[in-house]
This record gives sequence, structure tokens and C-alpha cells, in this order.
Amino acid sequence: MNFQSLINSLQYIKPEIVIAVVIVLVVTTDLIMGKNKSLLPWISIAGLIVASFFVIEQFSFKAVSSNANGSIGMITADPFGAFFKIIVIVSSIIIVFFSLSSNEIKEAFERHGEYYTLIFGMILGMFFMISSADLILIYLSIELLSLSSYILAGFTKHSLRNSEASLKYIIYGGASSGIMLFGISIIYGLTGTTNLYLLNSFFHLPQFGGFIFWLACILIFAGIGFKISAAPFHFWTPDVYEGAPITITAYLSIASKAAGFALLIRFIKVTFIDSVDASGYWQLLNLIDWKSFLILISILTMTLGNFAALWQSNMKRLLAYSSIAHAGYLLLGLAVLSDQGLIAILIYFAIYAFMNLGAFFVVMIIANKIGSEEIDDYKGLGYSMPFLSFSIAVFLISLTGIPPTAGFIAKLYLFIALVDAKMIAVAVIALLNTVVSLYYYIKVLKNMYLVRPEKEMPAVLVSPAAFAMLIVLLVPIFLFGIYFTPLVNLAKSSIGLMGF
Amino acid sequence: MTLETILFILFAGIAATTSVLMITRSNIVIAALFLILNFGALAGLYLLLNAQFLAVTQVIVYAGAIMVLFLFVIMLLKPEHERSIYKIPGMKIFAFAIAFLVFVQLAYLILFSSSSEKVSPDVQASINAGTIETIGRELFTNYILPFEAAGFLLLAATIGALILAKKKIE
Repeated sequence: MNFQSLINSLQYIKPEIVIAVVIVLVVTTDLIMGKNKSLLPWISIAGLIVASFFVIEQFSFKAVSSNANGSIGMITADPFGAFFKIIVIVSSIIIVFFSLSSNEIKEAFERHGEYYTLIFGMILGMFFMISSADLILIYLSIELLSLSSYILAGFTKHSLRNSEASLKYIIYGGASSGIMLFGISIIYGLTGTTNLYLLNSFFHLPQFGGFIFWLACILIFAGIGFKISAAPFHFWTPDVYEGAPITITAYLSIASKAAGFALLIRFIKVTFIDSVDASGYWQLLNLIDWKSFLILISILTMTLGNFAALWQSNMKRLLAYSSIAHAGYLLLGLAVLSDQGLIAILIYFAIYAFMNLGAFFVVMIIANKIGSEEIDDYKGLGYSMPFLSFSIAVFLISLTGIPPTAGFIAKLYLFIALVDAKMIAVAVIALLNTVVSLYYYIKVLKNMYLVRPEKEMPAVLVSPAAFAMLIVLLVPIFLFGIYFTPLVNLAKSSIGLMGF
Repeated sequence: MTLETILFILFAGIAATTSVLMITRSNIVIAALFLILNFGALAGLYLLLNAQFLAVTQVIVYAGAIMVLFLFVIMLLKPEHERSIYKIPGMKIFAFAIAFLVFVQLAYLILFSSSSEKVSPDVQASINAGTIETIGRELFTNYILPFEAAGFLLLAATIGALILAKKKIE
């Protein structure tokens, strides 16, 4: 047996190795240092920075690992995966800083070791989800991500709603991963392989197709759809987002969703592609009408998310429905099935990460000060907390997609991709949805600036750390809103998947 | 008589006796304990058939994990009143009919299927795949990543169990 090809493949999993080492480091440091937990966040950030070096290295790769006998292995390294891993790393670093200023997490001081270990468990799961090319590893990485996030969702165990969030997440998650596993087992039964590249060459044969094949693919989509909270698999989102500690909510809404999208794009593009034509449109195999299916799901998702958000009175629930709506826009970018749509998705994600993290951060700081996440309690905050209110106004306007914020650029590229693909009707529906979303975002601003509070509140100062964090999050919103060429160029150079 | 035959008779005897004992006990905990013995004897039979991996998983998964789950459920639910299920008329006839059907099916397969003397290459390959050597080699070369990922999955699960088991933070 020849192990050389296995050892050569080790270079493709350097970031994953770093993350795994950090998990062990955090556990042992927690054990050795005992009551002193102040070192843990800094170990985490150092580990993430080291991992980011190896991820940046992957921008120049376009390779897949190989098995001991030289056949195609399980893990890929390509610019597409590297882009999503960078999003995961950046949001993880920001989340670690969030945790430092979150009252909820500070109160659970004794469990900081477990907290950071599980966050790194999530990161490892997401990295494998992003770069995996094998259904077995895909399933295990989804489970690793889900299991860690179930526990983190009920981490503080303070209130009833915390445990409720965790339990609901476990039940929905367990059911959906079971459904996905069933789909995978059907695919394996039909073809005898779980490798996406081998599946692609199998599907070129004429005998595949029919109802059972449809069923298997829809079942697999259900598992991934749960992770990206696409309708009709979104039921868990509002409850879990409301109940979980807010750092975890913000993390789930960015990183977990990014990993889910990376997996979905890789699954569809690698498994079902026939060829890419000169203008960048993907010709998929004539097995499943992914285009109509994705358009249907995305319109359902964004409409449902936006209309349900209209009636929310809790800020976290509102952002949960808004994140469902954004998953709908992102799915629309995939439904174009072209390189241009993929570029739009990458740009959207990079910008969405900053604006959504920012919105959640301000909600957390305000909750630290006034002890509430209800929109009614935000009355008059524009005068007692001017800087915080200004920041959340910017983040919400950016989420709507109004210039000069970066959210406009994200939506612009998405709509250009749609119009170029002659999907005018769909673009109009998305545009109308954006108008609906304007209403509930502005409702928050109206409460803060135009409604008088019942009792006068003294002016509240923001701590220097939170101030610095907000600046870090605000700058990209304006920067990418005006000078977005570098981001677009990065996205354009990151659409390369291994094999295409 | 070779050692293999002696062991086969021993294990098969244990398996047959315990399965009869299991279904005739009225105390459900004792029935569950007989089931463990039955699983153990079956694992011995698998070993004799050179299916080592199956034997080990039989012991770990069935005799270990699933039986513990069984016993926990039995002890938590205290199913005393379940005994009345034996008094339902027609229940015994129904059970006998099902058991008889399965018996006939298995007997037909064993007596009338082609002899195991002439094994096709496919079947031989699947027999070899059941040995610990093959599975171990696959697990530590081509499937090393899922194997390690499963390891971290178990670590996360252990930590999660600890968090859930601990009392509220003071």
C-alpha cells in the first residue's frame, strides 16, 4: 500500500489541523489554569489568525486530496472554499470579541472553557462542510456543527427560553439530519459511491433519473436547507435566535449559514454540472430542474421571512426573520446558476456578515444597558444613546439595501445577475420584498428617534472596547458602499471550485 | 468433532435457550438480561463465521449501548401494567403465526439456496470486507478524515452532556 499520496494530501487540511489543535489547547489550558479563564479568548484569536494564514494559502490551490490507491479523496482546497473559510474566521474573531463584552456570557464564567471548545467544534464542522467532497464527511461535519450549536444555544441555562431554544433546535435538527441521511443512503444505493466527483461521472450515464432520484436530492436539500434556514425548513430559526445567547445567535446567522451555502453550492455545482459555457452559465445535467426548484424555494423563503418580520416586537426575532429573508435573496443568486450569480453570492455574504453582526452587536450592547430586546423599549434611545442608535440605523439601512451603504452594492450585484439571466419577473418579486423589509427596519428607527419615551433616560456612554468594535464594523459598511472594487475583484477571483 | 463445531453448538445452544427464556419471562428486567446473553451468543456465532467487525459491533452497540437504553426505559417507566398485554385474546396465535412465517422463510433459504461451496468473487470480497484487518486499513487511510471528525463529534457530545448534567450556574 502506498501512503505517499495520503501524506501529500495533508497539505490541503492545514487550516482544519490548526483548528483541531486549538480545540485540544483550549481544553487543556482550561484544565491547567483552573479558575483563571482570561487566557482562553486570546488562545482562540491566536489560533484563528494562524488558521487564516493557511486559508489564504488555499487561494492559490485548486486540488482535491487523494486516497491511498490514488483515487479521488474527500477534501478539496480551492479559492471558493478559502473565501467562505475567511468569512467564517472573520466572524469567529468578531464573535470572540462580542463574548468579551456580553453580560450573558460573563455570567457563565465557570463554563468559558466549554464555551470556546464548542465554538471551535463549530468552526471545525464548518471548515469540513465548506471543503468536503464526500457525502460521508459532509454528513459528519453537519453533525459536528449542529451538535456544538445545540449545546451553545442552551449554554447559559438561565431562563426557560434558553432551554426551550436548545430543545427545539435539537428536535428539528435531529429530524432534518435523519432525513438528509436517508437521502444520502438512497444516492449511495443507486450508485455505490459517496464521492461528489465520482457521482458526477456516474450521473452522466443515461440510466439515472426518475422519481427515486428526485426524492433523494430533495431529502438531501432538506438537511442543507435546515442549516441555511430556507422555507419550509425555517421553523426553528425565530425560537432559537430569540432564546440562544446573543453571541451565538449572531454566529448562527452568519457563519453557520455561510457554511451551509458553501456546501449547497458545492453539492449542486460539482454533482450535477455538465459544462460551463463561455458566458459563465452552468449547464446542469438534465436530471433535476434545480433552477425552478431553487427559484420556488427562494421566493417562498424571502416572502415568508419579510412578511413574518412585520409583526415582530422582539428585536432578536425580527433579525431572525430578516435573516430568513436574506437566505431567500442568497438562494436567488444560486438559482441564476451562473458564475455571475456566484460572484453576487460571495459579495453578498462578505457584506451581510458585517451588517448582521453589527446589528446583533448593538442589540446586545443595548440589552446589556436596558435589559430588554423589545422594540417598544427602544423608544427615545436616539437621544440617550446617540452613537449606538446611529450605528444600528446604519446597519438596518444597510440590511435594507439603501445607498451609500454596502448593503446596496450587495443587492445591486444580485439584481444585475438576475436581469442578465433574463429572470425579470423574479427580480421584480425580490425588489418588492425589499420594499416590504424597509417597513420593519424603519419601524425600529422610528421608535428610537420619533417616539418620546415614557420616562426620561439619562445619557449612557459606550465603553471604549464596544466603541472600537462598532467602528470596526461600521467602516466596511461605508467603505464597501463607496469603494467596492477590491471586494468585487476578490469575489471574481474566488469563484473557482476544484474541477471547474 | 472439531473445535469450531463444538463452539458452534455451544453458542447456538445458548442463543436458542436464552431467546426462548427471554420471551417466556414475566419479569421484564429478567427478560432484558436474557436478551443481553442472547446478543453475546450471537456475537460468538458471527466470530465463527469470520465476521469479526460485525461481532465487535454486536457487542458494543447491541449488548452495550442499546441494552443500557432498554434497561433505563424499563426502570423509568415501571411497566407493571404491561403484563395485561398477554391477556389480550388472539395475541398468542398472532405471535405464533408471525414467528412461524419467519421460521419457514429462513428454513427455505438455508435448505434450498445454492450451496456455499462455490463462492462467487463478489461474495468472497464481501466476506473479506468484514474482517477487522480490512476495515482498520480503510478507516486509517481513506476514511481517516471522517474517523477523526467523528472523534471530535464525540468530544463535543461529551462536553455537551457535562454542561447539561451540571446544575445551574450560581
